[in-house]
Amino acid sequence: MWAREREEREREMALDRRDSVSSAPWRGNAAGSLFFGAAEASRKLAEYVNSVIEALSTQNGRTLASLLAISSANSFCELVASALELAKEPIKILKQVDKHAPLGDMLSNHTKCMHSYQQRRYVEAFNALEKSANMFLQEFRSWESAWAMEALHTIVYELRTLAQMADREMVANGKIPDKLKGAGSFLMKVFGALAGKGPKRVGALYVTCQLFKVYFKLGTVHLCRSVIRSIETARVFDFEEFPARDRVTYMYYTGRLEVFNDNFMGAEKKLMYALRHCHSSKRTNVRMILKYLVPVKLSLGTLPKEWLLQKYNLREYLNVVRALRRGDIKLLRHALHANEDGFLRSGVYLVLEKLEQQVYRRLMKKIHIIQKLKDPARAHQIKMEVIVKALSWLDINMDVEEVECIMAILIHKNYIKGYFSHKSKVVVLSKQDPFPKLNGRANIL
Amino acid sequence: MQLPVNDSYGQSSEHFQQVQNNNSLQQEQQDPLPSSQQDTHVTHIPEPSPSDHQKPLKFHSSVQQFTSLEASKQRMSKLQIPTNPRITQNLGVVISNGPKGALPDSSKPQKPAYISIRGKSSINKVSSDDIADATLQPGMFPPSLRAYVERALALCKDDAQKAVCQDYLKEIITQASCDGSLFSKDWDIEPLYALSSMLAKGISKQVAASVKLDSVSTRRVKSRWEPVGEKLEDIKDSIDADSSKTEVLEGSKGQEFAVSPKKWEKQETTWINQQQHHITSTKPSKRGGQKIKKPDPGTGGVGTSSESDTDLDQGGFHLGSLLTTETPEEKRKRQTRTKRFERSKEYSGPKGSTKPKLQGNASSRRASAIRLVMSVGDVNGQAVEDINWDSLTIRGTCQEIEKRYLRLTSAPDPSTVRPEDVLRKALAMVQSTPKNYLYKCEQLKSIRQDLTVQRIRNEFTVQVYETHARMALEAGDLAEYNQCQAQLKGLYSEGISGSYNEFTAYSLLYMVFQNVNNRDLLSSMARLSHAARQDEAVRHALAVRSAVATGNYTSFFRLYRTAPKMSSFLMDLHVERMRFEAVKCMSRSYRPTLPLSFMARTLGFSSLSLVNGLDEKESDGLEDCEEWLKTHGAQVVYESSTNELMLETKMSAATLFMPEPEDVVPHGDANLAVNDFLTRS
Repeated sequence: MWAREREEREREMALDRRDSVSSAPWRGNAAGSLFFGAAEASRKLAEYVNSVIEALSTQNGRTLASLLAISSANSFCELVASALELAKEPIKILKQVDKHAPLGDMLSNHTKCMHSYQQRRYVEAFNALEKSANMFLQEFRSWESAWAMEALHTIVYELRTLAQMADREMVANGKIPDKLKGAGSFLMKVFGALAGKGPKRVGALYVTCQLFKVYFKLGTVHLCRSVIRSIETARVFDFEEFPARDRVTYMYYTGRLEVFNDNFMGAEKKLMYALRHCHSSKRTNVRMILKYLVPVKLSLGTLPKEWLLQKYNLREYLNVVRALRRGDIKLLRHALHANEDGFLRSGVYLVLEKLEQQVYRRLMKKIHIIQKLKDPARAHQIKMEVIVKALSWLDINMDVEEVECIMAILIHKNYIKGYFSHKSKVVVLSKQDPFPKLNGRANIL
Repeated sequence: MQLPVNDSYGQSSEHFQQVQNNNSLQQEQQDPLPSSQQDTHVTHIPEPSPSDHQKPLKFHSSVQQFTSLEASKQRMSKLQIPTNPRITQNLGVVISNGPKGALPDSSKPQKPAYISIRGKSSINKVSSDDIADATLQPGMFPPSLRAYVERALALCKDDAQKAVCQDYLKEIITQASCDGSLFSKDWDIEPLYALSSMLAKGISKQVAASVKLDSVSTRRVKSRWEPVGEKLEDIKDSIDADSSKTEVLEGSKGQEFAVSPKKWEKQETTWINQQQHHITSTKPSKRGGQKIKKPDPGTGGVGTSSESDTDLDQGGFHLGSLLTTETPEEKRKRQTRTKRFERSKEYSGPKGSTKPKLQGNASSRRASAIRLVMSVGDVNGQAVEDINWDSLTIRGTCQEIEKRYLRLTSAPDPSTVRPEDVLRKALAMVQSTPKNYLYKCEQLKSIRQDLTVQRIRNEFTVQVYETHARMALEAGDLAEYNQCQAQLKGLYSEGISGSYNEFTAYSLLYMVFQNVNNRDLLSSMARLSHAARQDEAVRHALAVRSAVATGNYTSFFRLYRTAPKMSSFLMDLHVERMRFEAVKCMSRSYRPTLPLSFMARTLGFSSLSLVNGLDEKESDGLEDCEEWLKTHGAQVVYESSTNELMLETKMSAATLFMPEPEDVVPHGDANLAVNDFLTRS
């Protein structure tokens, strides 16, 4: 979603430019959406086709992209759709393109898609667009330079979003949705056309990000691996040469993948990259990055300031962070329970769940500090009964054996340095650095 | 549905007559068509279809180009006859009617050429030809015979066989019509293997026959018999059948063909193939047979009218019966139509043998199954959905309660399949039998098989799978458990009720223990409804998951002791690992020693002995614990002051190891142990 916003921003820019570039006077009329007769419709359609031809002949990718856009706010969709309905022999008009490039069939499919889209028949629209996209890709391959990259990206974007709409329509009609899957395999084809050496590679990361979106939506994230490998192993192209928005999106998704793999160090690196390069004015996008970065940082032992969570409306983490600060097991459990559905869906539940051990550690540290104030000489020995009592104050009723187990785990996992004496029921803390820093340790867990 | 169709045919026959009478006029009107158009038409390559037709078609047309000059005269004459005049009339420019239009002076002079071709088939059987002609009149075959012929052809592996088979079939049919058994014979049960034996020896005959072919046809022999050619021919057939419908009905069926001009172009191309086909075809059942026309010595007018009758009958005949080999698209439509007739009327076409004759011999059913499957093979995904598998579903008649499980290698035979009421008894028997798991498993598998082939999916099915899953868990048979769990997932998702929560809990546990990746686990947790989360078994499973995730062994083994239903059997899978992790953790964090009594209690050894011991005498499991520790490399020492065995933690931390599982068998499946095998028989 956050990347989409970027796209939309880009598109707005594109649209602005389009208005100045083509400055087609007839677009003003189009606001009225319907024409008065077949002749006018034919004329409008012809003008549209002429704009396409002009964009093709001047190799203006941006204009072409805006001409082919479907779902954006001021696309030509409505105009073309109504022109298509009224015009006589619209195919003949559309075929005019063939004089310049063999895209007549592509354009007739594309306009068919626009027409179906306008009538909210998304499955039909998707099918037409898929044909159109295939034909366009075929033509795109034969072009030496990457001038039409923006148009290709527009098509890729429209295909993906339309596939989701088509799938929703199919589900509503009791069919098994498969359009997004189809879009995924087409995107893979596009990726294949771009990923090689040459000027077109710069557009490959955008397609990769769109592929990520498809795979995450479909729940087939394992398919991301091959694309990632192709992006990361290639030496011919420096990652930094890709456009910033694509880099940010890419790092965001690969960071999420690392969260799934419990590789918090890797996840932190990628998400931090995304955060650093993400434009700070894009609050939604920053929020989406933080949504994963915060739990990752927490598990690595870095707590965020509360104002950050407030600013980016990440309130679900507020109590988690508070619990970590206070060593309040109950608050953590409560926070986890209250947002269980959301955490499960975003996939951070398992990360947050493991924070419990950090909260225990915090509690031990507090007890240790209090004991040090009382009796510095014996502060490193914490009696079992003290811990149990502290927990019961927090409304956590556990018997000695359970607490013993938790203490053993804390020591075992190096959250606490020391040992446990079963005989005397005492946790004996190391005199030096009993609570080692967590940084960089989380991935050993 | 059938009635209106017939009616329309009645109408069309009248209409047809008229058309025929105007036929010559029509042709003359079409003659002035520009010749360039004809040419482009003949060589036109049909719109590439999504399936694999493209190549062969290209081949055909290129051959066409090469031979067009030498063969043009002949071809055109041939083309003229099968051209359905109705199509000609209505399509006019769209078809462009190339070959026909190319003929300067229409049908009459060309007739002899056609007749000479018909003579081809009479070379073999001059004597019986008259009879054959009489009986082979369209509409005269019983549908069962047509089905029989198609079954026979479906068995042919290659073109040569097919040709021989056709020869042989023709013989059979001629003979049958001679002795009058054509209609009395039950073709549905007529054996096919007599044919297959024929195929072997018939090949030489076929070679000899092919020598007689004229030059043009010899050149085309290869391509003509390609499967695509065959299909195209049948498209033509079907179009023939549908074409008259098209105009009269103007209904949905007709429109299928009327909508796109491309389709007609394709058809036109196929007509050329069709013509080639006639040169050598001795196929008696379809075109070959129906196309027989006696040389009419009469005038052109009479000749055309008789021809129209024939064509008309033929159309009606096709409508009533059905063809099996068509293009995928056509096949799909046809199959749905077939179904309609099957239900309502007496139709017993190709597939008719399956449903009405549940008790029929297996071979015929199998043949139909094969055909259906073959038809599915080259059809894209959509068509599979549209195939009505009901027609292949059988209803069992077997009354035996006990049945051995055998993996099916052919279509199921109803006489060995048990109906649901018998299966219920069988399930009750399995549940109460004192025999061992292997017996139960086999019985349950055969029950499952019978349910599957009869496509019974209801609460009883769920019950069977649940029973089997539980028994498999109890016996540690994870493979079967998995199969059942997978089936249950589908059954539950269809809304069939059962012990949903119980098996949700099992599948959660299974995922936890199989180290399924986090994402899958998360998504299945996210899918849990609030009601499910309140369920005891599910709550337990979630608690176990949390204990495993945090490594909390105390909590794990407490949950192990209180596991509801069969969950403890699943937890057994993880006990070994959990214990090992626990001991590793203990030996790192406890100093200097840890009493074994504590460990036995914490690590669930004591509860193990509770199972076989009497309940008042709960065993402390010390021996088991000591044994386990020693086999895993832990250092156990005797503490004399407290008279207790202790774990020496510091030393153990370095020496712990995970031994190879003891119950590993060379063939990898502990269930196939010899003892079990012997008790089985």
